[in-house]
Order: sequence, then C-alpha cells, then structure tokens
Amino acid sequence: MTRTIASPAAVRQVRYLTWIVVLAVLITVSLVRVLTDQNRMTTPGTLRLALIAACPILLAGLGGLWAERAGIVNIGLEGQMLLGTWGAAFFAYHFGAWAGVAGAIAMGALGGLLHGLATVTFGVDHIISGVAINIIGLGAVGYLAQTFFDGYEGGGPRNLSGYAVPREVTIPGISSAARWVSEQRWFLISDVAGAIAGVTTRLSLLTILALLLVAFTAWVLWRTPFGLRLRSCGESPQAAETLGVNVYLYKYIAVVISGGFAGLGGAYLAMVASSSFTTGQTNGRGYIGLASMIFGNWNPTGVLASSLMFGYADGISLLSNNGPLVHAILLLLAVLLLGYAALKFRRGERMTAYVVAGIAVALFAWYLAVDSVPSDFTGMTPYILTLFVLAVAAQRLRMPAADGKPYRKGQAG
Amino acid sequence: MRHLTKAAVLVGAAAVVLSACGTAADNDDSDDNADGQQCEAVELEGDPQVALAYDVGGRGDQSFNDAAYAGLERAQTEFGFEGTEGEAASDESEEVREQRLRGFADDGYNVIVGVGFAYSESVDKVAPDYPNVSFAVIDGFDPTEDDVNCNVAYLTYAENEGSFLVGVAAAETTESNTVGFVGGVNNPLIQKFEAGFKAGVEEANPDAEVVTTYIEESDPRGFGDPAGGQAAAEGLINDGADVIFHAAGASGIGVFDAVTSADLWAIGVDSDQYLTASPEQQPHILTSMLKRVDVSTYDFIAAAFDGEPLSGYTEFTLADEGVDYSTSGDFLPADLVTEIDDYKQQIIDGDLEVPAEP
Repeated sequence: MTRTIASPAAVRQVRYLTWIVVLAVLITVSLVRVLTDQNRMTTPGTLRLALIAACPILLAGLGGLWAERAGIVNIGLEGQMLLGTWGAAFFAYHFGAWAGVAGAIAMGALGGLLHGLATVTFGVDHIISGVAINIIGLGAVGYLAQTFFDGYEGGGPRNLSGYAVPREVTIPGISSAARWVSEQRWFLISDVAGAIAGVTTRLSLLTILALLLVAFTAWVLWRTPFGLRLRSCGESPQAAETLGVNVYLYKYIAVVISGGFAGLGGAYLAMVASSSFTTGQTNGRGYIGLASMIFGNWNPTGVLASSLMFGYADGISLLSNNGPLVHAILLLLAVLLLGYAALKFRRGERMTAYVVAGIAVALFAWYLAVDSVPSDFTGMTPYILTLFVLAVAAQRLRMPAADGKPYRKGQAG
Repeated sequence: MRHLTKAAVLVGAAAVVLSACGTAADNDDSDDNADGQQCEAVELEGDPQVALAYDVGGRGDQSFNDAAYAGLERAQTEFGFEGTEGEAASDESEEVREQRLRGFADDGYNVIVGVGFAYSESVDKVAPDYPNVSFAVIDGFDPTEDDVNCNVAYLTYAENEGSFLVGVAAAETTESNTVGFVGGVNNPLIQKFEAGFKAGVEEANPDAEVVTTYIEESDPRGFGDPAGGQAAAEGLINDGADVIFHAAGASGIGVFDAVTSADLWAIGVDSDQYLTASPEQQPHILTSMLKRVDVSTYDFIAAAFDGEPLSGYTEFTLADEGVDYSTSGDFLPADLVTEIDDYKQQIIDGDLEVPAEP
C-alpha cells in the first residue's frame, strides 16, 4: 500500500481530467435526454426531488466518513438517524425549528457516544456494536414516541406532526430565469439550467447547511492539524500514539461527530423531506449512506457525488409513469459504462474493461428489448444502482488502513 | 376453474349441512359466508373484552388507524369498557402479527380487531385456535376460502364509490386539467381507490387527465413514509397536477406538505383530514374521501356486546354511509356539492356502476 506523492503538475492534470469527465458525463446525459425525448430527466422538479432525497444519505455518509477516518466502522448510522428523527420532532415541537435541529444532532451524538463507549473503551467488535445501536435506536424511538407524543396535539404513539421546520428560500431572479431556460429544452444549456433552478427554488436552509458541511468536513479533516491527527488514528493508531496523539480521545470525538451527522440526517428526514415524524421513517437510508461513503472512496466530494446519484435514483422511482424515464436511464448507463470501459482499456486494465463493456452491452440489449421498465423494477432502482456501482468501482476504493481494527492503548510499545 | 372449485365446495358444504340435519340452516343473512357455508354466532366466554391491533402508521396517522380508534372510543363511551391497543412496526413479519393477536387472546380479550388487510393471513391462522374469540379484519379477505373460520368477520368497503365522488370534486376543481393520485402500496385494495377516482374524474370532466404514483410496489412501509409521500406529490405537481388525492395512510401528511408549499389542493382519505390537519395545511384540503372505519369498528364491537358477533364478509357502501365525502372547510361550491350528491344518488340507486379495478 505505497502511495506515490503527486507533484503539483500531476495534481493539476488530475483536476483537469476530472473536469473533462464531468463535462463528458453532462454531454452524455443531455444527448440521451434529447435522443429519448425524456425531458423529465433533468427538469428542475426532478432535480429538486433528487437533492432532497440525497441530503439524508449525504449526511449519513459524511457521518460514516468521520468515524471511519478515525478507524471506527459505524454501522449504527441507521439507529443514530432514527434517534435524530425523534430529537428533531420533540425539540422542534417545544422550542422551535432550530432547537429541533440541535436536538436531533444531540440525540444522534448520544448514539455515537454509545458506539464510542462500546468500541473504544470496551473494545467491542464494531459491527456488533453498530448492529446493537440500530436495534436500540429503533426500540428507544418507539418507546420515546409512545411516552411523549401520545398526548400531543397532532401526535400519536407513533407519529407527530405540526411542529416548526427550518425556512425555505427561493433565490429570486435566478430561480425563474433558470426555470425558463430549462423549459426551452436546449441541448446542454437547459440541463444545466434545470440543475440551477432545482437548487435555487424553495431551498431549505437545512439543505444549504448539509452542502456546507461537505466543505467543512473536507477542510477540517484535510486542512487542519486536528484533522491530520484524526485521520492518523484511522491509518495507523500505533504510529499516532508514538507521536503523542491521544488516540482514544480522537476516536471518541470522531464517533460523536459521526453520530451528530447521522442525527442531522434524521432531522432532515423529519423536517425537510417531510414535516412529520413517524417511527422507523429512515427506511434503511443509514445503510445507503454507508454505501455512499464506500462508493465515495472515504472522501467528502465522493460522498456528495454518490449520494446525489442515489438520491436521483430514489427521486425518479417516485415519479408518475416513470417506466419510459427509467428506460432512458438504461441507455444512459450503458453509454457511460462503455465510456468507462474505454478509459480502463486505454490504461491497460483489460480484464476490468471487458467486464464493464459486457455489462454495458447487456444493458443496451435490455434497452432495445423493452419499451418501458416495469414499475416493480423502478422501485428497486436505487438498490440495483448501488450494487452495480459498487461492483464496478470496488477495485478503485481504498479505506483507511486501520479501519475497523481493534486498538488498545500501549500497543505501539 | 375457479368456478368449478367453488361449485365443488358448494356441493361439499351442502353435503355437510345435510348430514348435520341443517342445524345452522335458519341463521341470519349476514352470517352467510361466500361459499355458502353457514356459521353460528360465536359464543363469547364472559363479557366482551376488546382489543385493537393497528396497522403500519399506527394511531396518530390522522387517517386510517385514527378512524378505527374513533370507533373504539365511541364504543368505549357507550358500553363502558377498558379495551387495549397494539401498535405495529413498519417492517414487522407475519409471526409478529400472529404473536400480537395470540397475546391478546391469551390475555382474555375475546373481541379482537385487526386494523388493515395485513392482518388477513395472521387472523386466518390464529382464529381456529380460539373458537370463542370473535375476530374482525378491516379491509380483510379470507386467504383460505375453502376453509372458513366462523369466528372471523371481514369488514370491507366500497372505496371505489367514495373515491368516485372525490374524483368528481377534483375534476370540477382542476384548472390545469391534470389531477394526481398517490397510492401507498400498489395492491388491489389501493387500486380500488384509484379506479373509482379515475372513473369519477372521467365522468365529470372527460378532458382531465389522471397521473398516478405509488410510493411502494409491495412493501407496506409505503403507508408510513411521509418523505416518500411528499416526493411523490411533488413529482405529480411537476407533471402539472393541481389537485392530488392520496390513499397512503400516514404518508399522506407528506402529500399535504407538498400541496401546501405549492399552494394547490389535496384530497384526504379515510378520516375527515381537514379536521386533523395543521392550520397551514387546512386551506389546501379540498375534501376527504371518508371511509368510515369508525362506523364498522363500532358496529363490530356493538354486535359483540349485543351477543351476536359478526361473521363473514360485510361490505360498507355509499348506501349505508360506510363511505362518503366531507365538506369541512366549505371549499366545495354549492353547485358542485349538488352535482356530487346527484352522482351519489345514482350510485346508491344502482344507475351508475363504479369500476373496482383501474
């Protein structure tokens, strides 16, 4: 596992390549949209739905990133998110919207603290502790909801609605202009405008916060001494210890922050994605968050990109009469994978190239064989995409070296 | 083939009845089961003890389960009993439901209501073990029609008829000539709502188009996913829908959120949802398709207290006010109410057939 240190010129070249890839993907999307006449692929409405579906996954994914960068596998994200949904509802009901957000973070952090106690102090296997947290989260939220919400106005033993939620803002001018452009259905320009309109129309302050947290995470973990120390606990805790880093403390901080992120994801579900609380409303988004972290290669921008993709798949699965749209996306996937295969081939990774090209051809054949994807499949889209992308991208992923490994103080001696 | 089996069962049942010298032959009509088998009323041991097992979404969903609770409350004040309730989790298995029902029966509850079709299978398995307990399944069906449990009542509704009426309301209210439907789970029960709604829209405004989304294909969590409800409704709004009817239980709160943000109309379901909506949502709830789960729950409990527990299928229709529409909020203009009531009368009189499948 040696990594060569990149020269500034090489870094510039990578950045340059990234932009080319992004542009190529954009052009492909736009081409497929025009060819298949599925304009809903990039309308502001669809992209707004995708963004809202993506944010809870993003926050869970960032939570997972914080923990795993310090060497702790946090499968308990789902349970911490659940605690967050309850915290958001309870505190928002009594003290207002932002108290709800804070309460959700606190509840999630509490779940994180529990995970830290088990894994760091008592050395419990991370997976076992995480699964336990998920079960505890589910039970605790059921109990708390029954105890508190039953007597509330707009509440029941499993539900609560009618509490305050963070405000939504529309950026005037830009929103309507972009919307107009997107309706012209011009090649490329309308697609970009659709995205701009999607993020400038009725944007929740919590969405802005979630996006800012991506930059915040990247800055803290990669640009501050604190972040360097935290990451060193995930790569080689023994080495960190010899340099005087209090590994236990850093692991605790990381896992508590991780839980807080998951809790915020829960708040997003209960305040932005809907305005009501119901027990068990995370529906596995914590796990999808974990998948987005892995696919995002333990890297904030990667997590953002992959959660947007999962969110998009989630969003279109809820559109009416979406068979033809999902059908068009088959074509899109086939073309993108073919491009990926060509890239691999050029780099000499022939085996991978053949496999990916094979999948692309199969998708293309499926595209040609049917006119519309049956609705049973469209609901599965997010999960199929997850499986699929992980299978294709798995070789490129690199997790922190000491991720999930037990660490005891004094091992370095 | 199906008819053949039914005929065979009929002959078999007739033979049984004959050999038993027709002891059960002179029972009430409502005790008739679908296959011609006849049942005697269940003998409850001791006073009726009532237990209510909720569906996914649970009490506080401001919709289906709350309606059942309202029926329980009414019976409680009238007959003065304690009663108990059980909540369901969104991804629980068949065994958990069975355990819940057995738990009630073992604790001495002898009038047990399963709220929601999901209890059909578990009641069918549990009921034979407790012959002196009267079960009901709201929206239920008998999964083993050849083997009828006489102590089970299936309370069903003509949802298509009620949905037809709100379809008329939607068709006359829409300005974009596009109306939406959000279903919780794509199953025959919810399709019945869709079918009636579509028929109503088409009847009143042939130019209007109905766009449809189901939150889940088969997973019952579609009834407990407000985020999914909101996303589904926003999708329909993007398609141009300006009136959206939902049949999605607790997920419907998300539908109300979406129409409230977009300043459009929603149509509630099961309960009169105008009454339970938040003040911001209230101005956007045009009407509700009432499915009087409270009436049937109450009727079932009352029958037990009268000593004649219900058995077999009982359908609640427009004619007996088992389904209806609401006018709370006074958003429907008087001439529209007249029009809807006219259709209502036609359906009651049998002049208008409402399809039950889309």
